[in-house]
Amino acid sequence: MTTNIDYNHLVQADKIHGSLYTSDDIYADELEKIFHNSWVYVGHESEIKKTGDYITREIGRSSVIMVRDKSGSINVHANRCMHRGNMLCNEGEGNKRNFTCPYHGWVFGLDGALMDVAYPGGFDKPLDELNLQTLVTDSYRGFVFASFIQPAISFDDYLGNAKSLIDRSCEMSPNGKIDLKGGWIRQRFDSNWKMLPENDTDGYHVNYVHQSFVMAIDSQYGEFVGAEDSVKGVIKDWGNGHTEIDFSAGYAKTLDWLGSTPEKVKSYVDSMREAYGREKADKILYDGPPHACIFPNLFLGEMNIVIFQPTGTNSSVQWSTPMFLDGAPELDFKLLRQSEGALGPAAFLLADDATIAERAQKALLAGDPWCDLSRGLQRETTDENGVITSHMTDETSNRGFWHHYRSVMAGER
Amino acid sequence: MTKVTHEVARELEAFVIQEARLADESKYQEWEDLWADDGVYWVPLREGDDPTQKVSHLYDNRTRLATRIRQLKTGYRYSQLPVSGMRRVISNFEYAEEVNGCFQVEANFFLPEYSIQSVHDFRVWSGRVIYTLSRRENTFQIHMKKIVLVNGAEPVPTMSFLI
Repeated sequence: MTTNIDYNHLVQADKIHGSLYTSDDIYADELEKIFHNSWVYVGHESEIKKTGDYITREIGRSSVIMVRDKSGSINVHANRCMHRGNMLCNEGEGNKRNFTCPYHGWVFGLDGALMDVAYPGGFDKPLDELNLQTLVTDSYRGFVFASFIQPAISFDDYLGNAKSLIDRSCEMSPNGKIDLKGGWIRQRFDSNWKMLPENDTDGYHVNYVHQSFVMAIDSQYGEFVGAEDSVKGVIKDWGNGHTEIDFSAGYAKTLDWLGSTPEKVKSYVDSMREAYGREKADKILYDGPPHACIFPNLFLGEMNIVIFQPTGTNSSVQWSTPMFLDGAPELDFKLLRQSEGALGPAAFLLADDATIAERAQKALLAGDPWCDLSRGLQRETTDENGVITSHMTDETSNRGFWHHYRSVMAGER
Repeated sequence: MTKVTHEVARELEAFVIQEARLADESKYQEWEDLWADDGVYWVPLREGDDPTQKVSHLYDNRTRLATRIRQLKTGYRYSQLPVSGMRRVISNFEYAEEVNGCFQVEANFFLPEYSIQSVHDFRVWSGRVIYTLSRRENTFQIHMKKIVLVNGAEPVPTMSFLI
């Protein structure tokens, strides 16, 4: 899609233009440049353990099937029969020997190959001309990403520093593996999708949007809502649009992030020390999991995995599931309840985030179109890897998201 | 499980209707007072989900239920500020008495909600509600309220009111 949208004007060093959230033309442009031509998170290998296991996901405007084939490989196919375009999988998950279209009975293998056409006497084309459209796919530690076309940037370069974030999530498990089998809550937001990643690594809103949470609930987040000087968490721009609120410097004790103690989860602590050695394990158990967004649609939400799904200029869906740890099933019940407490339409946190985002979606149409994002510009520091760090309440993460967005949308990445 | 008498059925129905009105009107304290100490307030994603294996929209034990009410009462729970307009209709009641003296009441519900906090949308919620109740003084107390939405596994908008 060719557009005359000047992203270098709309995204500036210290402010962004409100039309980025409200313009139908920009949304259509994003579906093309971000959700069709670039790397997008699809799913996790643990969701499809056996041959024929599949899940369906929505990538931009396209439904896709992520399936494990007979060779054990993971494929991501467009969920669309190559004959006349009917949907091959109507369920969100399941197991199949092959994909049979309900319309005219065409049969595709798990690898996407067209295997059989009903009443073949009338069909002359070679079958392999009409295999399923299979996306370009790559994965890191079980996190599967895909793109409809070969992206301009390699998978390695795209993930960049985010590999260390995924490493930290996986290393919460003594086996180095997460297991996403807890089911997905899907929460509807009547707001533009970009408000979700922006808000999830915004360290500035906690004391305001979540004031009722802070008042009603004694949690580890209480350590991050004091006076400006007392907040020890930091905000990070890891590059490529990947951003983080790093709470670890603010935690007061080991396992604060789990709301637990080493005595209460002794078997977990023991298995972590056995796996990583005492020093590294104790650091992992103190620092906790990352709270980080991987551009454009994945959120490593501490002990949750979250996916952002755009559904329109003014609507989106946030998917969330507890991040179960392979080798530590004794935590599952607690992780389920913590996930429900934080994420989803009835949760103590996200219900209010949705309401505030929805109010923004309306208010952005009023008056001055600019949104200020200058907070912290004067006090950020950049390390040797290019990672920018600042006070937890600074808009370093938001700038990181938007400046990468600008480079993608302006065709520079 | 045995059937209950007509009189007991009327008593149970009246209790459920009272519970529904308190929820509709966001009478948080009076609603919380209906609960037993071992109460579980549960909205699974779908019927048949095991809450020890699968995430729910909410699965509150009595402590978390109290937290939920405390948060709603702070005056800063934006997703219920102001409170939703609601008038639910409950019907198709079925009653049973368990061997331990508890009663099970099941019903269909149809809950129109005017979501006034941001989008000003008129929404409809529907599903099956299952109560486990026991007698307490002249009324009943709630040990379990399980709400199975017809669309719980689909994308769901804000649901921070008392469902």
